[in-house]
Amino acid sequence: MAEPQIRVHHLSVRYGARQALRHVSFAAAAGEIVGLLGPNGAGKTSALSVLAGLIRPVEGTVALCGLDVVASRAEAQRVTGFVPQRLALYPSLSARENLLFFGRAAGLRRASARVAAERALALAGLEERRDEAVAAFSGGMRRRLNLVCALLHEPRVLLLDEATVGVDPQSRERIFGAVREQAASGVTVLWSTHQIEEAERLCDRVVLLDHGRVVADGVPSALVRLAGTPPHVDLVTREPLPVGWERGVPGVGPCEPVPEEEAAAAGGALVRVRLDEVAGAARVVERATSLGHEVLALELHRPDLQDAFIALTGRELRD
Amino acid sequence: MRGLGAVVAKDLRLLLRDRAGLLFLGLAPIVVITVAGLSLSTLYGADPTGQTAYTLPVVDEDGSEESREITAKLAGERELQIQLMADRAAAQSEVRDHKRSGTALVIPAGTGEALREGRSAELLLYTDPVKYLERMHVQLALAHVRDSLVGEWGERARGDAKARIASMRTELEGVRASLGSAQSTLDEAWQEAQRRRADASDRIEREAERARDSLRVRAASELGAARERAAASVSRQLDALREPIARWLAALGETREAFGSWLRELERLAGSRADRIPPPPVFPEPPPELARFASDGLSLELPPPPAAPEFASFPKIELPPLSPPPALDLPALALPDLPPPPGALRLVEQGISGARTTVNSFDQNVPGFSVTFLLLGMLLGVSLGLLDEHDWGTFDRLRSLPIGLACVLTGKLLSRFCVGVVQMIALFAVGRFAFAISLGPQPLALLLPIAGIAFAGAAFGLLVAAVAPSRDSVLPVGSAVAIAMAAIGGCWWPIDLEPRWMRQLSLGLPTRWAMEAFNDLMMRQRTVSAVWQPTLVMLAFGLAFLGVGVALFRRRLSTPVEGG
Repeated sequence: MAEPQIRVHHLSVRYGARQALRHVSFAAAAGEIVGLLGPNGAGKTSALSVLAGLIRPVEGTVALCGLDVVASRAEAQRVTGFVPQRLALYPSLSARENLLFFGRAAGLRRASARVAAERALALAGLEERRDEAVAAFSGGMRRRLNLVCALLHEPRVLLLDEATVGVDPQSRERIFGAVREQAASGVTVLWSTHQIEEAERLCDRVVLLDHGRVVADGVPSALVRLAGTPPHVDLVTREPLPVGWERGVPGVGPCEPVPEEEAAAAGGALVRVRLDEVAGAARVVERATSLGHEVLALELHRPDLQDAFIALTGRELRD
Repeated sequence: MRGLGAVVAKDLRLLLRDRAGLLFLGLAPIVVITVAGLSLSTLYGADPTGQTAYTLPVVDEDGSEESREITAKLAGERELQIQLMADRAAAQSEVRDHKRSGTALVIPAGTGEALREGRSAELLLYTDPVKYLERMHVQLALAHVRDSLVGEWGERARGDAKARIASMRTELEGVRASLGSAQSTLDEAWQEAQRRRADASDRIEREAERARDSLRVRAASELGAARERAAASVSRQLDALREPIARWLAALGETREAFGSWLRELERLAGSRADRIPPPPVFPEPPPELARFASDGLSLELPPPPAAPEFASFPKIELPPLSPPPALDLPALALPDLPPPPGALRLVEQGISGARTTVNSFDQNVPGFSVTFLLLGMLLGVSLGLLDEHDWGTFDRLRSLPIGLACVLTGKLLSRFCVGVVQMIALFAVGRFAFAISLGPQPLALLLPIAGIAFAGAAFGLLVAAVAPSRDSVLPVGSAVAIAMAAIGGCWWPIDLEPRWMRQLSLGLPTRWAMEAFNDLMMRQRTVSAVWQPTLVMLAFGLAFLGVGVALFRRRLSTPVEGG
């Protein structure tokens, strides 16, 4: 592995008596999208704050592109783009004015800032509304603008803190596209999120955080495997299926008990069937209908990072 | 500097987009200054336009020239608007019942006469004790009018007396001229008298000469006659003597013969010794003339008659000299100047700085409320502005950039400092054109305290942002502090209205020093040298606020962030 663009070693952050991060270490290579996944309070924002130079760690080192963020904060910040969780925009300024200002604040000359702003507007899909006040923008547009504000000075490291909170699917896709584009150009992306799907879809690697500690670090599929749980399907029929109805169906395991609360809320007869493979879900439906039962609902449950997290920490990611 | 300029430009742009903020910075203070200025316009006396003059009901019971003068003079006072009333009852009603005036004036009958006769006269004031300020202002105006009239009347009396003396002097000069003319006539008469006296003297001399000649002739005649009479008398007397003399001569001859006989007898008797008899005395021979006289008599030959006696010249009759004519000249009459009338004790008020003693209340209110709104503007601009940045997340984004916290804070403060300076200048300009405030002898000197309070205010905004626990607490806490600072510092009323302890307390506030500087320049008409010290004090306040504010703000930024 080449010299990592992000190198966090033994990082500890403390707010008074509260330990926000405890000996956290991870790294990210150039062009890599690394997800920082964990529930609220896990320490994601604290980690990003240290990387962005907003707070000082009480212990450990953080280097971006080989620059220590404590000793060489300004130099490190010049190669870093930070997208805070909150929309860091001036509502009464237009999109272009926001971009120009942040470009200038990032150290760009006036002409360079103008060029960068135009490029950012195009990347965010906001060329048509460049001169409108940000206050008039939708949440998704603001999020896109919030992202591209961090790209103006062409950072080599991009830090994003919950960058898609409250956005519509279209805007999310745009953001994903922009982030992938950045990564493709060699930018190292650290994506902090508590959205499992985002981490799975976007990230090359995921660092699982809980209570300020790194509980796992690896590619998503490897982490899912750590969960040790097969996929299953929840099938709801109008009438209960007969006992043993699933036997002989290829790739389908035995039924599992369903908690009473779930069964009562299902709106029909609910059965939970373990699958050896995801493709077995279709065969489960075929068997039920062949037995003359009307299928009201089908829900496929694949093991994911949530399961991995539960397996590793004993609690859900969204707790 | 690139980042600093961007921050300043951004903050100014944000302000321009904030219409409510602009209204608060621009329109609100103008409204408050106008309302407060007009409401408090009588604090320093009437306003320059005279629209807030006190109405003074006046009852002229005297109707004299003096009372009319008093009324006219009062009408000329800009603090007063005279309302002539028919009688005392109407005046009392104005004060007591209608409450339209705090004071009414009655000029009692006989006032003018008393004044003309040099007696004291009294004016009567009906006053409402509740309207203290009005009462004081009216009484001051009355005292001013009284002093002015007493002075005028004194001057007038002195002028009359001087005119009379001048007239007397003119008359005296006329008399002196007449006397001069009389003197000339008299001199001429004296000259004529002298001439006539000389003539008289000559005539007397001639008459004396003629009398002397006449006397000489008469004397010669008289002498001749007397000579004849004397000769005759002498002849008679001589004739009377010739007989006796002839007998005596005969007796003498006989005696001599007898003696010769006796002698010769003697010599003979003496015998031998006759030789020893001394020769006897020889009888003298009688002069022949005598013998001839005795025999023949004497014919008197009279000497030629004497020449007529020459009379000595008559003593010259000197006419008594003419006494010189009297000098008809008036003595230099030094008419004494009038003794000075009893002096009136007047109060001459002179501002220590040479400025006028009455001021426009807007000279106090414009800077005072401008400072107040400057501080409130700093709360909105700096305190809320920083908290807005914090809330918007832009602060974190800026801190993640190489621009640095110091640059962000400096830019924010610098932009608001500039806005504050512009705001103050604009409000002063409005005050100048709308309310005729004074900008002092050196208007540019106002920039010093403006810069000082703008800097202190901006730093105060940072301090509030650092201290206030939340955005919601900025206005309650910050505005309370800002308003208290403004009020105690003398922004809303003259500092001298405050008790001593509060004035002492105000020294610990930049607002007090700002108002001191503005009062020095605008009211006391002092120059820039008077505002260096207060400006430096304000800058010191600003630096202190800045130091504490930055330290607390850094500490605030290190608090935990909610999130992942």
